[in-house]
Amino acid sequence: MTGVDSTGNGPAGKQQSFWHGRSALLMPAILAAFSLFLLIGSALLDAGSTDFPGPRFFPVILGSVGLLLAVLLALGVLRTPEPVAEADTAPGTASETPQRTYRTHSDFVALAWVAGGFLAFALLLPWAGWILAGALLFWCTAHGFGSRRPVFDILIALFLSSVVYLIFSTGLGLILPSGILGGGF
Amino acid sequence: MEQLDLLMQGFAGALTPMNILWVIVGCLLGTAVGVLPGLGSSMAVALLLPMTFALDPTAAFILFAGVYFGGLFGDSTMAILLNTPGQASAIASTFEGHRMANDGRAPQALATAAIGAFIGGMVASVLVVFLSPTLVALSSSFGPPEFFALALFAFVATSSVVSDNVLKGLAALVLGIGITLVGTDGVSGLTRFTLGSPQLFDGISLVTVTVGVLALGEVLYVVSRVKREREDLETRVAGRPFLSRKEFAEAAPAWGRGTLIGLPFGVIPAGGAEVPTFLAYEAERRLDRRRRVPKFGKGAIRGLAAPEAAGNATTGMAMGALLALGLPVSATAAIMLAAFKQYGLQPGPLLFDRSPELVWALLASFFLAMVVLLIINLPFAQLWAKLLLIPKPQLYAGITLFCGLGIYATSGAAFDLVLLLVIGVLGFVMRRYDYPVAPLMIGMVLGPLAESSLRDALLSSVGDPRVLFSSPITLVIYALLAVVIALSVRNSVRKRTRRDL
Repeated sequence: MTGVDSTGNGPAGKQQSFWHGRSALLMPAILAAFSLFLLIGSALLDAGSTDFPGPRFFPVILGSVGLLLAVLLALGVLRTPEPVAEADTAPGTASETPQRTYRTHSDFVALAWVAGGFLAFALLLPWAGWILAGALLFWCTAHGFGSRRPVFDILIALFLSSVVYLIFSTGLGLILPSGILGGGF
Repeated sequence: MEQLDLLMQGFAGALTPMNILWVIVGCLLGTAVGVLPGLGSSMAVALLLPMTFALDPTAAFILFAGVYFGGLFGDSTMAILLNTPGQASAIASTFEGHRMANDGRAPQALATAAIGAFIGGMVASVLVVFLSPTLVALSSSFGPPEFFALALFAFVATSSVVSDNVLKGLAALVLGIGITLVGTDGVSGLTRFTLGSPQLFDGISLVTVTVGVLALGEVLYVVSRVKREREDLETRVAGRPFLSRKEFAEAAPAWGRGTLIGLPFGVIPAGGAEVPTFLAYEAERRLDRRRRVPKFGKGAIRGLAAPEAAGNATTGMAMGALLALGLPVSATAAIMLAAFKQYGLQPGPLLFDRSPELVWALLASFFLAMVVLLIINLPFAQLWAKLLLIPKPQLYAGITLFCGLGIYATSGAAFDLVLLLVIGVLGFVMRRYDYPVAPLMIGMVLGPLAESSLRDALLSSVGDPRVLFSSPITLVIYALLAVVIALSVRNSVRKRTRRDL
């Protein structure tokens, strides 16, 4: 934990040095939140006149175990933060903060392109239709993965989503929304 | 020899031109998905599930059988050529297999793997055919307490054996079981944990979770570090894949031993084929150390032959367990189970009575799939590697698009797509912090069985917990469980003492 300053991760203030290598607390936090959701949900559930091992029995056990595990995991993270110097450092081509360790690095911009693209796809699908929304998803993902040919990607995206639409809608009889493209037909 | 007659009728059913076509299509598609980086055979089945809705049940399951085994073949092809196992069951093949490929013996490695998988799968299929009446008879002695013990065994075994960190494994398990609690409670009919949202009344579909955790989570994980990964895409593949008589003789005993190790795991729900493949690899390594010229570490053909045979033997037996017991042993089997239910079929002892033509045609198609796969993999394995020439951005964009398609086609609601994204992000977070995803899948698969059998058992005994230990079968399962726990404790103690030194 003393090696934090030497990693060159910006001005290493006190607060930052606590969180550095401790983002792994995220998983225990998710687990704790989920367990609390199960416990609170069970408490609010109106089980009425069900016999002893009713619908609340199993979730309460599971939620309690989950909370216990979350506490143990969190303690583990607090005691031994993610080993900062353990992994190999990024290869020389790394653009920003080359001293950041390899394992802990995540490219959140690229991640946002894919996740955001998927969210847009999910929300736009009923209105824009499969072909346009699917092409959008394809393009955003390719962009997130660092594709340098946006126009080429648009063409492939439209081609692929149209082919899928044709195969699945006409060939296999699955219903994919046609959206605005299908409005006039 | 009643089974032989039935099997012959099954072949008659499976050998129509249309069904042969479906086997071939399934094998091709399964291999194609299995070859893609990060996607294994369970993904192949999940993504291709919507394709089968347009087919009649027999054709659909024949297609599935091809996809399932094809995915396994594709996994090991990539494990050998590029050191990228599609799923955990192919990891053991990378150790010696990739080394063989690096030594310029890729064709031989691929042939060893393909023949090993063929032998393992064939033996398992034969055994399933002859053991199915026994399994069916056995399943009648399984009541709620036995099923609960089996589920508990699967939970503990997957989270402790498969993962390095037991706490992380258990955390993933709790998340998996918890997800199955959402929706309508099967015993009382009450809706739970839905936050009042009607889309969740039917629960969260296993397909959504599989695609989210295994495929979308993987895509998100890859993209988060794509600009950092070092590329290792060079393959040295040349020449025709054939084994010299000497190589064949060397690999033969390993194929046999691997098959023997793999078979029993098909009926034990321990999370699929990871455990047997590693066991087979370890066994071969120990045997190798006793030889005069140890070959392990230098591309030993036996180190590849054994896990390949073990993996497919387990997979084949797992299909038998699914058909005869209705017990899903792995995520893939659970998706097949979901597909059975889609057609109004309930796998289990009654399936053999009610739809024998389907069961036997499916079993016959296992044999067909094995032969087809051997034909398309032995000479053309290197062609499959060409799939990786698709540039990464377009390749992963295509995978993402198919994730969306698979989920939308099964559910028909945009809500499930948002759910898929949430679960995909969870899968990403788990990968980033080294949480194993296998326990989550097994929790999702066996969670409902665990809950309903525990409650049924306790209801019938009016709350007396002794009912859980009342039969000899449960005692045997709990004894095995104790052995598994003891072994994993011993391993972790050993690891810790080694680290201290």
